Amino acid sequence: MSSEHSAQMKTPGKFSSIPRISAIVLAVAGSIFYLAGQFAGAVLILLAGGLYLAGLRLEQGDGGIREAMARWKKILAAPLSGALIAIVIGGIIMLLTGYNPIKAYSALFYGGLVKNWHISVINAAPLIFTGLSVAFAFKAGLFNIGAEGQYYIGAMAAVWLGLILKLPGIISLILVFAFAAALSAAWNLIPALLKVKTGAHEVITTMMLAHTARYLSPIFIRAFGGNPSTSTHPYVTDEILPNNFLPVFKTLFPNANYRLHTGILISIATAFFIQYLLTKTRTGFEIRAIGQNKEAARAQGISIGLNVFRALLIAGALAGLAGVNQVTGLDHKMFENLHANYGWNGISVALLAGGHPIGVVFTSLIWGILDSGGQYMARTTQTPNAIVEIVKGITLFLVVARYISFYLKRYWKRWNMSGGK
Amino acid sequence: MNTQPVILETRKIVKQFPKVLANSDVSIQLHQGEILALLGENGAGKSTLMNILYGLYQPSSGEIYLHGKAVNFRSPREAIENGLGMVHQHFMLVENLTVTENIILGSEPGRGLTIDYAAARRQVKELSERYSLKVNPDSRIEDLSVGLQQRVEILKALYRKASVLILDEPTAVLTPQEVEGFFTVARRLRDDGVSIIIITHKLEEVKAISDRVYILRRGKVAGMRETSTVSKEELATLMVGREVVLTVHRTPHQRGQKPVFELKNLSVQGERGGEALRDVSLSVHPGEVLGIAGVDGNGQTELAEAIMGLRSVAAGKIIHKGELVTGLNTKKRIHRGIGCVPSDRHRHGLVLPMTISENIAMGLHRDKPNARFFSLDYPAMNSSANALIKRFDIRAPGPLTAAEQLSGGNQQKVILAREISRKPSFLLVNQPTRGLDVGAIEYIHSEILRMRDADAGVLLISLELEEIFSLADRILVLYEGQIVKELKPENSSEKEVGLYMMGGGP
Repeated sequence: MSSEHSAQMKTPGKFSSIPRISAIVLAVAGSIFYLAGQFAGAVLILLAGGLYLAGLRLEQGDGGIREAMARWKKILAAPLSGALIAIVIGGIIMLLTGYNPIKAYSALFYGGLVKNWHISVINAAPLIFTGLSVAFAFKAGLFNIGAEGQYYIGAMAAVWLGLILKLPGIISLILVFAFAAALSAAWNLIPALLKVKTGAHEVITTMMLAHTARYLSPIFIRAFGGNPSTSTHPYVTDEILPNNFLPVFKTLFPNANYRLHTGILISIATAFFIQYLLTKTRTGFEIRAIGQNKEAARAQGISIGLNVFRALLIAGALAGLAGVNQVTGLDHKMFENLHANYGWNGISVALLAGGHPIGVVFTSLIWGILDSGGQYMARTTQTPNAIVEIVKGITLFLVVARYISFYLKRYWKRWNMSGGK
Repeated sequence: MNTQPVILETRKIVKQFPKVLANSDVSIQLHQGEILALLGENGAGKSTLMNILYGLYQPSSGEIYLHGKAVNFRSPREAIENGLGMVHQHFMLVENLTVTENIILGSEPGRGLTIDYAAARRQVKELSERYSLKVNPDSRIEDLSVGLQQRVEILKALYRKASVLILDEPTAVLTPQEVEGFFTVARRLRDDGVSIIIITHKLEEVKAISDRVYILRRGKVAGMRETSTVSKEELATLMVGREVVLTVHRTPHQRGQKPVFELKNLSVQGERGGEALRDVSLSVHPGEVLGIAGVDGNGQTELAEAIMGLRSVAAGKIIHKGELVTGLNTKKRIHRGIGCVPSDRHRHGLVLPMTISENIAMGLHRDKPNARFFSLDYPAMNSSANALIKRFDIRAPGPLTAAEQLSGGNQQKVILAREISRKPSFLLVNQPTRGLDVGAIEYIHSEILRMRDADAGVLLISLELEEIFSLADRILVLYEGQIVKELKPENSSEKEVGLYMMGGGP
């Protein structure tokens, strides 16, 4: 961390680390509270933001704050305006089809942000993992379209080891995570090998293996449980041992929802780790270099093959963690025909985040909110849930197609040139 | 002074782009039947001005007069209809169509849906005979040499009855012999009454072909001269805005006895199979520049890639400091002190979205001082990049500027800074000044000579004979993958080398 700070520092020595560290502590604590459904955590987050700005001002003056604002504006302009336009279009569609958009949207946001916030968070955790997986491969110029398959492998591995591993406390859980991550990384060994040796495109190979993994799961499930008489689902594995359950927030906050598990914290921590890996380490540097210009990277002695392996294997492990997260945190078993599609949706959140690991956290939360809010909306206002998918689709289309940023930029330029009139 | 009437004139043309003032108050006149050169560095506004004339851009203010009448072309089509023709630097030809088909494309003769190919072919033939632009109307473009492709482009303009011809960097892609041919064609067209504007940053070209020259600097006309009365030095000064050394001074330097780098009977496969290099042997001594002359595509790329370990070797040996390096990978070669300035700085030289400091560290990014354990040491990388930015006078806000935001000359300086700062014992320099302007060329040449004077062995691959002659201590001519001749620059001439480059020779 220390090298990260000093690298970004423009005037060395002047920085006071106390406001920065306390801002980080406050932000982390506030986020944990908020994610657990303790909305008072927002106060801590706001406090941290204020402290950060104050520290920035102390260090760099008003210019620093302006610069930070400009940076945030640049990052947020496209996704936010995209979402806004999509919501408006969704509203128009509802009007045309005879639903009340105001009622529907209030239900959507009340459900997603307040009433069923815990479901939003539960939805977001696996998406963060699969989103990170896709985003990480993007950095190497690879498209890990088969994250869904690695997700299934991760889930199966977690169930398999979770059923038998009985070690004290956290050790057991760590082993389950490590084993599942390793196995889903290995699942991507074949695409990586084919890519390096024959040039076969990873879009085809990972996609094919995704289907393979998905259709492997029923066989697996039947082998490890699947008693139709004791379950509402006809085919399901036995429940994993309780010592392999992820802790739930309820142990810390008695009023938290009993299903809300701490997988979200692991996923966010993973996002920060991936961001660090990409921007600060030698490996990350090489992966970014081959992603941005593999010819030039190769000319400087960076091995393309090695880094394709690294990128696809790490991407596989990340997607696998999404499966572990679901098994150890939420379901504690594995169902057949449960079309959660976290792998495919990971592509959406990664694209929406522009491939930025920290961005993936936010886009996954937004997707999670829209999903849980959409269900609430459908239940309470009888507006079809499909409207949420439409809003998601339009947002993605607008942001990914870069139409918005293009028009915004043009408008901004014209505005500047006319002297701000 | 030219007494012919003015055919094309711009008056006080201003072109403002969102961030740059590309043309400011540019007024030029083109007389009937003259060759006018428009000289300027990259970014001086030459191309902008021509694109305005050709209807691709609209001027922010100012007027264009054609035959004394004010005109305003809203598209190239209108410009063409009014008798303007343009030959771009990168030809706009359909590779797999024939010469005739390319020429008539867009204005096909015939009625309704049918094309009268016979008439078209006859017209093309007539045209090429009238202007002595010999080219077979039935050849496919992909089978023609670059020089002939240029003729097709010119014919295309003449077919559309152009009386004003604008040529953008016409000799950039031609061999010395083809350049001669082009000059002949241009003169003949002039004598037939066609008015020609040549956009260029090459002083020789201005001197060799033009009647008059406008010099553009930073979007403004820095002067107009009759070519016969102006010296190259004066042109360079007007163009750059300061005194420029056109040919760097090469002081005699004692070369080392033992070669630092050798190739022995090297053969390399080409991209499409077949031998791209056949039995190439050479040795580079410390403190000398060995120049490789040759027309593009005669094995230069393969030679450079083989030396850097980017392409496998079919037969032969590569020896560095007396040790065999044929089997070593690129990384190991870099660590041994073999450096390379690649010919294509965008494709092979830089990772454009990355910062200057990342680009400079790349290659040695696993070593001190760039890395600490698994992490990169950004403060150390930035401070060494900062020092190099100062030392090499790279015009950039700082080490965290992305390479893509730099001008071509400054990008090349970043690559040079990276390679030279590693103190290589052997440096491969491949077309180091491609597309750069006079000021940057001067600097890069002097840095290459400084490497040589510091007793590094330098292998210079260049398509520009002038560059080879001003830098190299010895010249090898590469033709169809073989070294056909070794020459000393002091006992030879560009003409002689050019002859060997074409596979000829006494």
